[in-house]
Amino acid sequence: MTDQLVQQIVNGLLIGFMYSLIAIGLTLIWGVMNIVNFAHGDFLMLGMFTSFWLYTLYGVDPLFSIPVCTALLFILGLLIYRYIVSKVMKGPMLAQLVVTFGVSIFLANLAVFLWTPDFRLIEKPLLHGTWDIGEIKLSIPKFVATIGSVIASVFVFLFLKRTKTGKAILATEMDREAASLMGINTERINSISFALGSALVGIAGAFLSTYYYIYPQVGGTFGLIAFCVVALGGFGSIEGAFIAGIIVGLAQTLGGFFIDPAYKFAIVFLIYLITVWIRPEGLLGW
Amino acid sequence: MSRKEDKMGTKKLWVIVFSLLLVLILSVFVYAQPKVIKIGAIYPLTGNLATTGLDCKRGVEMAVEIINGKYDLSLPLAKTEGLPNLGGAKIEIIFADSKGDPKNGMAEAERLVTQEKVVAVIGAYQSAVTKTASQATERLKIPYVCSDSTSPTLTERGFKYFFRAECTDTIFAKNQFEFLEDIKKKTKSKIESVALLYENTEWGANVGKEEQKYAKEFKYKVVADIPYSQNATDVSSEAGVLMKNKPDVLLHASYITDAILYTKTFKELGFSPKGFLTMAGYLEPGYLATVKADGNNMIVRSTFALDLAKRKPLVAQVNELYKKKYGMEMSGNAARSFTAPFVVAEAIDRAKSTEAEAVTKALMATNIPGDQIINPWKGIKFDPQTHQNIYATGILVQIQDEQYFTVWPFDTASKDIVWPFPRWKK
Amino acid sequence: MRSLSFKQIALCLIALILVALFPLAFSKPFPQHVMILIFMFGTMAVAWNIMGGYAGMFSFGQVAFFGIGAYTSSFLLITYHVNPWIGLIIGGLIAALVGAAIGYPCSNLRGHYFAIASIAFGEIVRTHFNNWKLIGAAEGMTLPMMEESFENFMFHSSKLPYYYIMLAFLIISLIVCYFVATSKMGYYFRAIKESHDVAKVLGVNVVQYRLIAIMISAFLTAMAGTFYAQYVLYLDPESVLILPISVQIVLISMLGGAGSIMGPVIGAAILIPVSEVTRVMLGHKGTGIDMIIYGTLITLISVYQPKGVWGLFSNVGKRTR
Repeated sequence: MTDQLVQQIVNGLLIGFMYSLIAIGLTLIWGVMNIVNFAHGDFLMLGMFTSFWLYTLYGVDPLFSIPVCTALLFILGLLIYRYIVSKVMKGPMLAQLVVTFGVSIFLANLAVFLWTPDFRLIEKPLLHGTWDIGEIKLSIPKFVATIGSVIASVFVFLFLKRTKTGKAILATEMDREAASLMGINTERINSISFALGSALVGIAGAFLSTYYYIYPQVGGTFGLIAFCVVALGGFGSIEGAFIAGIIVGLAQTLGGFFIDPAYKFAIVFLIYLITVWIRPEGLLGW
Repeated sequence: MSRKEDKMGTKKLWVIVFSLLLVLILSVFVYAQPKVIKIGAIYPLTGNLATTGLDCKRGVEMAVEIINGKYDLSLPLAKTEGLPNLGGAKIEIIFADSKGDPKNGMAEAERLVTQEKVVAVIGAYQSAVTKTASQATERLKIPYVCSDSTSPTLTERGFKYFFRAECTDTIFAKNQFEFLEDIKKKTKSKIESVALLYENTEWGANVGKEEQKYAKEFKYKVVADIPYSQNATDVSSEAGVLMKNKPDVLLHASYITDAILYTKTFKELGFSPKGFLTMAGYLEPGYLATVKADGNNMIVRSTFALDLAKRKPLVAQVNELYKKKYGMEMSGNAARSFTAPFVVAEAIDRAKSTEAEAVTKALMATNIPGDQIINPWKGIKFDPQTHQNIYATGILVQIQDEQYFTVWPFDTASKDIVWPFPRWKK
Repeated sequence: MRSLSFKQIALCLIALILVALFPLAFSKPFPQHVMILIFMFGTMAVAWNIMGGYAGMFSFGQVAFFGIGAYTSSFLLITYHVNPWIGLIIGGLIAALVGAAIGYPCSNLRGHYFAIASIAFGEIVRTHFNNWKLIGAAEGMTLPMMEESFENFMFHSSKLPYYYIMLAFLIISLIVCYFVATSKMGYYFRAIKESHDVAKVLGVNVVQYRLIAIMISAFLTAMAGTFYAQYVLYLDPESVLILPISVQIVLISMLGGAGSIMGPVIGAAILIPVSEVTRVMLGHKGTGIDMIIYGTLITLISVYQPKGVWGLFSNVGKRTR
């Protein structure tokens, strides 16, 4: 029985760290611009497809396509911000909520149009298989993704706290007007944050493609959970998103195992609700 | 007027003349065509089940091509072009996208009948959509022939115009336990417990219920009963519960997305019961295309397998045509949807009319012999009360070397079954 | 607030007459079906608008009320043979109570937090219904075919009665919205939307009025749910409790113009035909083009006309955010 428990904890952590990685990009965008990027899941999907096509057409292992995914999604984020999102920034909140929905529907169906709805899988990434640690089975691709998630999070954290641009981003997150008064070009910060958030989820896509199947609608599933994670962790808080991702992963797996698999997402949502009732800003939000 | 405008004027004149000519020619063409018989087909062509819907579409299109053309096959209406009793009139399928939503099924059925003027409707794969679509056709008094939805409730409504050629989940669930009885005798192994794993929507939940019923009847212990949400990001907890309860056999009813995820997870966690008895998703071409060798030794319920060709050369012939047209082997899904157009066209031809009452009467008398269908049945004949095909039975296929082979009933098997399920190879 | 001008009343009457005559001009079921969907989603969008556009609670969980309405009246009909009209009222009341129950702990949630909480709420309801054997769980419920009559709320030979009933529901919702918007309550709602603190200073019991807004919205949405059940005669969680329905309601309100009475109706009148027509014309190809168009349309309107279509006509309130 303890073996089962440990296995479920391990699995919960593995999926949790992936949630964290996906959520970090989302919380950055959210915190800085107050924009809910409903297309975030679809950016993930594009990252996955980029990785898949590089693998299938050129034999590039997903690990090495990370730079490409990062760059592509960064540029895509910049473009979408510049030509679509920035234009609604001055509009009503509702328009901001809705515009990324439009982008989401567009991207998912563009993928259907370009690549058909068929399912794809990367069969043998460089690092594949399972480690047997005693009775516990550790999936290697998921573990690699976990490490990637930690590294990426540390990078982002250092970037935000140590670099000039990073600090400018944090300042804008905390108080937009004050930041602007201090001479920070908030418009530029917006673009960078959006692009950075997109790039991060592009990396997540590359990692996810090593063990999950790839298809145009995959964004919906992960996107919804990412919102819960971000909200649980507190909008704008990178540390919050990181921790919340792990909590959600554990809740999903342990709740599903011990209580009832049919209710596992309901448990996740319930934890979110209870958290915001007790502490409305989320765990580490402000 | 300048020269340029003059030129423009003449140009415009030519365009008009040319268009008029074109219209005249086309209208002649239109009048010259023999009558076209329209049949409506509703499938989830976009959305979550798009790959499945498109697979079904291929089956339907293949059938229509054979009916409309001249092929030396022992299928109804194959040897003639179109419907001979109606002057060679051809079938035209009007496809409609349900997006998997029952209210679209209803709306599309109504639109197909009242606006597109179809004389019959086929489809819709998802039982929930077939339910509402056939409710609409029943109201409109138009025949509906379903060959790809398996919910037993569809033929329990006492409808006059609804006919189903395919098996029901009741039959499939029973098959699974009949198989277990047979394999127990054959291998003299002990099989006492089963685990039920099913996707938690209308179809899967019904399958789960039927399996519970037969588990009780055949005296097997159900050690786990796990409904799950489609499109999960991770199924470790479900797999964990299964492993904890150590069932002898796993019964899994899933669509393709979850089939892929579960196979990967089972391999990752090393879950290998004595056997996997699965449904639906495992039959889709996309499943093997993604999981490849990991799909080996899965047993799937079906009403079609390519190796039927050994007893029925017709199957190989049709598959050849299908491969030529689509570049892939015919799947179980496509084979199911392939049947309905034939049933409808054959009835219309026999009735010598497209009028709803005549066609319905003809369907009641349908009696297509087994050697004229690609399914492993004695034929197609509808029960006078329920309109369920009395000859519809299921078979079990097993994936070996990434191909599907009939393994049960044992006397129709083309290959020896691999049992028990071997341990996962890394 | 202002009462309706003569011009506005005249316009509404003309629109009403045109809409009432529509099915006589277009007698095929499909156009009538599209109009019925416009009325149904229009009703739900108006209901959303009361709590979202006016009171500032952007709910992405309205589908829960829709489902509760549909399930309540259907369950009562099938199990206890309760007349669907009575079931409609009961469904509405239950939805309102549930709405208040969830709304109370969420009283101080704003903006994005509230939105995600509403999604969570909707998903919890769906998961629960999906596993609740009493109401059929994942298999759903099929309504019995009853004799065609107004009393039975069921019609087989023509869609016209459904058409006019749903139109009536829409008009009822609009009247409710009008009274809410022009009453003191509407004033309080808008104060709450602007700022909770300001509202409190004005002496508004924020929690109480938020709950009232939710309850009204829930009741109206549940009405649409009962109608759906009586119209399609089959329901399961996948068709009446899924998130995309909630999202569509929000999109419609926004596109049409949240915070205005007629905005949501206009939004429905645009978005529903677009999605139905593109599905019919392009969906069957399976290429996804119909949804690409839909997504592009939403994006364009959000960017270039964020106040919605109503914003085009409205001269009131040119203030920026």
